[in-house]
Amino acid sequence: MNSSLFRRVPLIVASGAFVAAPLLLFAGSANASNNILQTTRKNAGTPNSTIVVKNKSGTVIKYGNKYITYKAPSSKLDTLGQALFMENCASCHGSEADGVPANGTNGAYPDLVGLGPATITFWIDSGRMPAKNVAAIQARRGQPALTSTQAVAIAAWVNSLLPGYPDIPTPHLKNANVADGAALFALNCASCHTIEGDGDALAASTFSPSLRNIPAFQVVEAIRTGPGNMPRFTGNLSDQQVADITKYVTTEIQHPNNPGGFGLGGLGPVAEGFVGLLVGLGLLMLVCYWIGDRS
Amino acid sequence: MSDLEEHRTPVSLNGLSEDDLRLQPLAKNPQTVERVIAVTFLFGTLFVAAFGASFWVNAKPWILGATMGAGLFLLGVGLVAWGKYLMPRGPFVEERHTLANSDADREAFAAAIVERGGSVVKRRKMLAGILGGGMGIFGIVALFPLLRSLGPLPKGTLFHTDWRKGSYAVDQTGRRVNVGDLAIGSIVTVFPEGTENSDRGQAVDQTVLIRISNQNFTTQKGRETWGPMGYVAYSKLCTHLGCPVGLYEQQLQLLVCPCHQSMFNVTNGAIPQFGPAPRPLPQLPLYIDSNGNIRAQADYDQPVGPGFFERHRVTGSKL
Repeated sequence: MNSSLFRRVPLIVASGAFVAAPLLLFAGSANASNNILQTTRKNAGTPNSTIVVKNKSGTVIKYGNKYITYKAPSSKLDTLGQALFMENCASCHGSEADGVPANGTNGAYPDLVGLGPATITFWIDSGRMPAKNVAAIQARRGQPALTSTQAVAIAAWVNSLLPGYPDIPTPHLKNANVADGAALFALNCASCHTIEGDGDALAASTFSPSLRNIPAFQVVEAIRTGPGNMPRFTGNLSDQQVADITKYVTTEIQHPNNPGGFGLGGLGPVAEGFVGLLVGLGLLMLVCYWIGDRS
Repeated sequence: MSDLEEHRTPVSLNGLSEDDLRLQPLAKNPQTVERVIAVTFLFGTLFVAAFGASFWVNAKPWILGATMGAGLFLLGVGLVAWGKYLMPRGPFVEERHTLANSDADREAFAAAIVERGGSVVKRRKMLAGILGGGMGIFGIVALFPLLRSLGPLPKGTLFHTDWRKGSYAVDQTGRRVNVGDLAIGSIVTVFPEGTENSDRGQAVDQTVLIRISNQNFTTQKGRETWGPMGYVAYSKLCTHLGCPVGLYEQQLQLLVCPCHQSMFNVTNGAIPQFGPAPRPLPQLPLYIDSNGNIRAQADYDQPVGPGFFERHRVTGSKL
């Protein structure tokens, strides 16, 4: 009896492994698909980074590298965040933050679960949410209705429903290279935001906003999370490259060096030519009139 | 009154009396105007000197511009005021004399060319013949730019890109794109490995790689294997005039051309849904190798970019 049971042990273990293996694989793939913002590239905005700090229970609370560090919102803020969410956000996004699908008339209120703290704080800190006009095709940047602490609290609660990435970034621009940033900006950003960073019209009544007066951490948030119609830049840009772009935006784009003294908003040759023709030619015509005039 | 009217009639300068009103300056008080102009000239001179000094010490551009502009402006104002207020007020007219020679002169000249010149040239028939031959050959040579100097014939290069079976998709730094790199809604411009720094790579081979799903994505019937793990790739050259179609709107799933606002829907094979583009963007068939690298199954199945005369020979389409 005993000996036969002993003989069967390997068989039981083997069959157990056969049953468990697909389940483990399935669990693994399910995990991977949840974090849609996580990429496998190292140092690209996810805990797959040079520096990773965990708390006592093993949760990642901070990660990054010498170019950008990402900090998870404290779970102590969850309760405050839930209250603020119910007050400011739940009327559209639902009390579970899982959104309302498009019904053909009102459009969609997006599902926020698993989007990561940086997405939540970007929309609130830039004043786009809570929406001033829910029927607008595209929310506009404005004065934020909530403080940055309140934004972090809401992000903490939404993140507690299903943790996601990226967390709230802090770029360290002294390590960034503004020349590399200019090249990366021209390749990745200028197609929509224009080379001067002033933004432009896009398809179907949407537009790319101006990049003036945007704090550095929000530039990183926008690049990493892809708000609205903007594509996400994840594994195709490293944290170093994102810091380079951010430095270029917050220096050369936001404080341009206009040798002529007046940049006319950097609207490009058409606008500059228009001003030159209207003002310059107008003045010249007045002068010609004065020269040719006889009393 | 009538005196003033009379003096406004244009007359010839010749034979005017010294005290004619038309010879007097316009200014009521020429001494004062002269002083004002002198002051203008003086300040103009000072500004021009200041421009020289600031140019010498390498001052800021706006100082250079301001001093030079002010100097030239004041000198110009003084000059115009001088002409306007201190010179004889006029108006004067001077009849333009006839430019053409008289008919007799012209006939005599023509006769001289034909008779004397003709006989001289006829006497040197050999020289005239060689000269004529040289000029004639030069005329033919002048046609050469049309035949030769417009650059080499494109031959097959318009029909193919450098994408081959198994080409690695690399970004502008030459880094191979891995299946784990892009999240949904990400875009990156890729090239076949080795061409990312070449003119032809950046002009012809440039391709936008977009991840629109995390499962295999079929954009059109017959392209079931072309979009592994939601990665789809389209030529970045607009089929209208070849501008880079780099504006990706991830919620609308549109690629927008910045030049003439052609819009291509990335989910249905980049069929143009607005704008002047006549054809969809060609799609590059992809696969993911065992290391997770994104690679091309083959070259594009049609010529990329705008149309050209012989295009229909390979595609069979008049478009």
